[in-house]
Amino acid sequence: MRARLELEQVSVQFAGLRALSDVSLSARGGEVKALIGPNGAGKTTLFNAISGYVPLARGAIRLDGEPIHGITPHEIAARGVRRTFQNGGLFGELTALENILAGLHARIDAGFAGILFGTRSARAAERAAVIRARALLELLGASHLAERQVKLLSGGQQRIVEIVRAVACDPPLLLLDEPAVGLAPPVRAQLVELIRRLAGEMGIAVLLIEHAVDLVMAVADVVAVFNGGVKIAEGPPSAIRADPVVLEAYLGHA
Amino acid sequence: MKFYLVPILATAIPLFANAYIQFMVNLMLVYVLVTVGFNLVLGNLGQLAFANTALFGIGAYAAAMLMAHAGWPFWAVIVPAGLAGAAAGFLASVSALRGIRVYYLAIITLAFGELLRWLYIHGERATGGTDGLAVPQSSFFGVALDSETARFYVFLVIVTLVVKGISNLMHSRIGRAIVAIRDNELATASLAIPTGRTIVLAFVLSGFVVGVGGAMFALLIGRVIPESFGLIELILHFAMVLVGGFGSLLGSVLGAVALTALPEYFRGFPGLYEMFFGALVIVFLLVQPRGLSALVAHWWPALRDRYYREG
Amino acid sequence: MFALQLALSGFAQGAIYALVALSLCLVYRSTTVVNFGHGDLVMAGAFVVYLMVVLAGAPFLISAFLAIVLLFALGVLIELGLIERIKAGPHIGFALMCIGFGYVLRGIARAGWGREVLPMPRVLDFPPLLVGELVVAGDSLAICATIAVLLVAFFVLFYRTRTGRVMQAVCQSERGAGLVGINVRAFHGVMWGTGAALGAAGGVLIAPITLLHPGLGATFLIKGFAAMTLGGFGSFGGAVAGGLILGVAEQLVGGYLSTKLIDITAYLVIILVLALRPSGLFGTTVAERA
Repeated sequence: MRARLELEQVSVQFAGLRALSDVSLSARGGEVKALIGPNGAGKTTLFNAISGYVPLARGAIRLDGEPIHGITPHEIAARGVRRTFQNGGLFGELTALENILAGLHARIDAGFAGILFGTRSARAAERAAVIRARALLELLGASHLAERQVKLLSGGQQRIVEIVRAVACDPPLLLLDEPAVGLAPPVRAQLVELIRRLAGEMGIAVLLIEHAVDLVMAVADVVAVFNGGVKIAEGPPSAIRADPVVLEAYLGHA
Repeated sequence: MKFYLVPILATAIPLFANAYIQFMVNLMLVYVLVTVGFNLVLGNLGQLAFANTALFGIGAYAAAMLMAHAGWPFWAVIVPAGLAGAAAGFLASVSALRGIRVYYLAIITLAFGELLRWLYIHGERATGGTDGLAVPQSSFFGVALDSETARFYVFLVIVTLVVKGISNLMHSRIGRAIVAIRDNELATASLAIPTGRTIVLAFVLSGFVVGVGGAMFALLIGRVIPESFGLIELILHFAMVLVGGFGSLLGSVLGAVALTALPEYFRGFPGLYEMFFGALVIVFLLVQPRGLSALVAHWWPALRDRYYREG
Repeated sequence: MFALQLALSGFAQGAIYALVALSLCLVYRSTTVVNFGHGDLVMAGAFVVYLMVVLAGAPFLISAFLAIVLLFALGVLIELGLIERIKAGPHIGFALMCIGFGYVLRGIARAGWGREVLPMPRVLDFPPLLVGELVVAGDSLAICATIAVLLVAFFVLFYRTRTGRVMQAVCQSERGAGLVGINVRAFHGVMWGTGAALGAAGGVLIAPITLLHPGLGATFLIKGFAAMTLGGFGSFGGAVAGGLILGVAEQLVGGYLSTKLIDITAYLVIILVLALRPSGLFGTTVAERA
C-alpha cells in the first residue's frame, strides 16, 4: 500500500521548547498506526502539526505527494485530513444528525444562491446528504441518537458520533486523538471494531493516539513510540512490546 | 409551506386594527427584521457584537437619502438599503478574516458602530446632521404609501420574503457552518469549513436584513436622526434577541412582537427605558436564558429549531 | 512648543484613561470576564460625587471617599449576586449581564438628572504652574499626582505583597488556587469591588474637569478598551501606557487636525491597532478562542 501521508524530519517549537525533533513518519491507506508514549511526548503536537494548527519549525508534511504544511487548517481538511479531538470536538447544541451533516459540508453540492432561493437542485443535494447521514448512523446502530442533542449523550456515544462525522466524507486520512479515554470495556470493544472497519472496509489511513496498551495491541497494525518529542521505535505491536528501548521509556508508566 | 400560514393569517389584521395599532404592528414588522438580523450574529454565530443599531441606521439613512435627495420611490430603495447594511456588516467583521475573534471582534464592532454614528452627526448636508433627514411620502409601484394599512401589506411581503430567505439559509449547510463555529471553531475548521469567511458571511447577512429593516423604519417614522441609532437603542435590540431566544428564528419574531410596543410607555419618564430593558435582560439571564422560544419548544417539540431540511 | 502643550494637557486625560483601563483589566485578569458595563460604573462614581457635592453640600474629599466605597460594595454585589449565578452558562451571558446592569445604572442617572449636561462646581482650585512657556493646569496636576499614587500603590500591591501573590495565583489558575485553600468566590467578589472602586476613582477624578451626562459611561468604556487594545489586552502596564498615549494622541489630533476628531480618536485607535498589530504594544496573545 502506498503511503498517503508522509512526514519528513518534522520539528516543532513552542517558546523555545522543542516539542518535536526530526520526526519522520508515514501513514498507509487501510493501515492503523498507533502513536504511543508518555504524556508530553509530542503526540498531540504531531496531530496539530499535521492538521495545521501548529506551524513547523523544520521539515515537510505531504498528503498524496502534495505538501500540506503552512496552509490553513480548513484547507488541509479540504485536502482530505480529518481528526477527532481529545476534549471532544462535537457541536454540543446540535443533534447527532446535524453534527454528521456538518461533516458532510464539503460534499453537499448546493451554492449560496441555490440555497437562498430554494432551488430544486439545492434541496435535492440537502435531501441526499440527510439520507447519507442517516445511513451512516444506521450502519453504526446509532439511528436512535439522530435527533438527540449531542451534549446529552454519553461519552461513548459522543465518541462514536464524532468519528462518524469525521469519516462521513470518505477521507483518505483520519487522526484519532485518544478516542478510548474514559470508556467502559464493552464500548471500547465497539470502538476497536469501528476503527478496524474504517481501515479495512473504507481503506482509510488511520493514525491513532492512545494510552491503553491493550487497545493498541488489539487494533494497531504498526506502533510508533514517542518520547521527548522524538520517535524512538516503530514496528509491529509484538516487536514493540519486547523492545528494550521502549520498555525503558515506559518504566514507571502503566 | 407551513411557514406561509402566519403571514397569510396576518393579512386579516387591518380588519381589526385602528391606525395606531396598525402603526404598532408595522413597527413590529420592522423589529422582526432587526431581531432576525441581530440574532444571526448574536445567537447563531454566538458572537457578541455592538454594531446592530449602526447597521439599522445605515439602512435607514441610505433609504432616506435616496428618497429625499434623489427622489427614488420606496420599492427602489429596499435593496440598496440592504446592501448598505451588508457592506457595513462586512466592514465591521472583516478583521475576522485575519483571525480576530471573540472580545477583540466585539470591541471592533463597538468602535465601528460609534464611528458610523459620528458620520451621521457630522455628515451635514448629506445626512442632515443632528436634525436628521425628513423622509418624503412615497409609493409602491403606484400605490401611495400614506396609510398604515398600505404600508402594512408592503412590509408584510418584505418581511415574509426576507425571513423565508434566512430560513432557507439556516436550514442548510450554511446555517450549520455558522452554528458550528459558535459551538467549536477548531472542530469546524477540521471539517473543511472556512471559519473566517463564514463569520463575515454571518455579519453580511445580518447587515442586509437589518438594513432592509432600516429602510422600512425610515418610511414608517418619516424622519431619520442619529440618536435613533445609538447605544440607547441597542439595549432594546439585545433584549429582543434574549427574550425571544438566542439562535431561534421563531424566537426573533416572538421577541420583536413582545417588546416593540413597550418603549412607548416609557416616553414620559427619562431613564425608565434603560432601566427597564437593562433589568429585563438581567432577569431573563437569571431565569430564562434560552428565551421564550425555548418555552414554546418545550410544549411543542415540533417547533424546535433545526438546521436541516428533510423533504 | 505647541505640541508639548497639547501633550501635557492630554496627559491628565490620559491618566484617567489609564486608571479606567487598569480597573477594567483587573476585573478581566482576575475573573476572565470583560465587563461591558464598566464605563457605567465609572460614570456612577462621578454622579455620586456630584450628588453629594451639589445636593448635600458635602466637601469633595468626603464625597469622593463615599463614592469609592459605595462603588466597591456595588461591585461586590454585582459579582456575587449576578455574575456568579450564571457561571454555568455560555460566556456571552456574562457580557450581556454586564451590559444589562450598565444600562440600569445609566437609566438611574438619566432619571435623576434628565438630559442635561451637568458641570461640577469648582471643587479643586489649584493655581496653574508655569514651566518656561508651558502652562500646566493646577487641577490637572493634582489629578495626575493622585492617579500616580494610586497606580504605584496598585503595582506594589500586585507584585510585592502576599495579597498580590494570591491575586497572581488565582489569575493563573483558579482550580489550583482553590486546591491550596484560596476562597475563589470571595476573591472574585473582592476583585470586582476593587475594579469598580478604581473605576469610580477615575470617575471621581474626572468629575471636576468634565461635563457630566448619563452617556459618559459609553465614552469611558470605549476609551478603556482603546487603551487596553493599544497597550496589549490583558497587560496591566499596557493598559496604563495605552491610556496615557491615548490621552496625548487625542489632544494632538484635536490640535493639529480638528477638534471634531477628538471624539473618534479612540475608535480609530481600536480599528488601526487591531488591523495592524492586534497584540498591541506590550501584549502577547492575539486571536482569542472562546
